[in-house]
Amino acid sequence: MTVAPSFRVLRCASCHVHFLPRPGLCPKCGSRSVRPELISPAGRVLAATELHGPPAEGAAPHRIALVELSGGVRVLAVAPGRLPALGETVEVAAVGDHVELRSEPETSG
Amino acid sequence: MAAVAVGRVGKRPEGLVDLLAEVGESALEAIGRKPIDLLVVGTMAAGPLAAVESVVPASAERLGLDPALGWRVEAASASGAAAFQAAAFELLAGRAERALVLAGEKMTGHTTAEVTRILARSLHPSEQAAGATMPALASLVAQRYLDRYGADPASFDAVTVQFRQSARGNPNAQFPTPVSREEVVRSRMVAAPLHLLHCAAISDGAAAVVLERGDGPAAVLGLGQGFDAFALVDRTELASFRATRLAAQRAYEMARITRKEVDFAELHDAFAPFALIDLEDVGICGGGEAGRWFLDGSTAPEGKFPVNPSGGILGRGHPVGASGLLAIAEVARQLRGEAGPLALPDRPAVGLAHSIGGLASHNFVTLLGALAGREP
Ligand SMILES: [Zn+2]
Repeated sequence: MTVAPSFRVLRCASCHVHFLPRPGLCPKCGSRSVRPELISPAGRVLAATELHGPPAEGAAPHRIALVELSGGVRVLAVAPGRLPALGETVEVAAVGDHVELRSEPETSG
Repeated sequence: MAAVAVGRVGKRPEGLVDLLAEVGESALEAIGRKPIDLLVVGTMAAGPLAAVESVVPASAERLGLDPALGWRVEAASASGAAAFQAAAFELLAGRAERALVLAGEKMTGHTTAEVTRILARSLHPSEQAAGATMPALASLVAQRYLDRYGADPASFDAVTVQFRQSARGNPNAQFPTPVSREEVVRSRMVAAPLHLLHCAAISDGAAAVVLERGDGPAAVLGLGQGFDAFALVDRTELASFRATRLAAQRAYEMARITRKEVDFAELHDAFAPFALIDLEDVGICGGGEAGRWFLDGSTAPEGKFPVNPSGGILGRGHPVGASGLLAIAEVARQLRGEAGPLALPDRPAVGLAHSIGGLASHNFVTLLGALAGREP
């Protein structure tokens, strides 16, 4: 399964590490020379949890997943649909100030 | 260390400065009100939680102190340990002769939802944006730990059961009642695999310590601090805390001892699985082995390496800014022979106090010795 690169990360021009967009320097080597790059939004679920309590106030529980994308980039993503299983392949997308799991992974190729 | 005072932890009617003054008064009384030239106060979120700032002049006024130096120190849930280390370093540098270290937090004036939101401010902004809270991230760490080592989830329950059992003898504990494994498993799910009884409560409380230059009972042997990437996603290792491993290594180096010389520890157990990770990170056992230690009683007060004879955070309660100093105070009381009903069967010679700041982004390890160590 191949997925078109659609998830925006930063790549360090010095040590080539990919990381999530953020203010500041390369988290590995401290370089300021970083540029945006699109990588595959597909990744593997390392851990996921359903939070019973704040910030979910009475309504449906809030779910978050720790996902590892290609190149070792990890993201903490909101899982709006359902709780994904450990090891499951999922797709992520940036939504406003956070990252979410896409409800139905779109596959191509 | 000249004096140690621990206040009752739980839901207290007093304000933060009252709680700090109460333990400060006890500690000053114990040293015959000798002059204090350094006052250090540790608190995580005095403003948001207790509606007070300027806790150093406020405490000094209450206690009738006129120190030459005074600092407020913040390191999230490790604020109390950070305050202690800051004071010890000032004494080592020769800038003061006698320090009063206070640490406290007043949390019960707010709803659980409000407290959870305030504590989550010590997480990375991207984690806050995803709606993550301390228990949420702790549950992810716990899952990585179970997955990495194929660990038995029952070992998490064993941590809670042991600490609640120990807290029975602690007159200052918020939870002096034992719980069974069944009660832990039946308590409501907070964030799988963490049930309510695997998680720290919301508490008010404070501790105080007087440190003097020169040797004495419960002398400082080693001070260590360590950092990890602020965001969980940027960390190399998720089933262990680099910040603890570095803090421990630095404390052992300063003390010029090895982990084999440590007799017992007070570890940061805001979530039960953290106690397992901590025991491995400070080098007492290997990765993935701590569960067995808790399940077979090796970490009980009569075991080969007692952990949290005071009941720890799960038994004692978790006034966040105070917890790091409470751990140091409980280690000191064992070494000074002042632990009363909590006294270990064999009087220990060296103890380790560990404290986690935030979600283990900045942690502290303090080594104390019963006999003369290096100054202070
Ligand atoms: Zn770099």
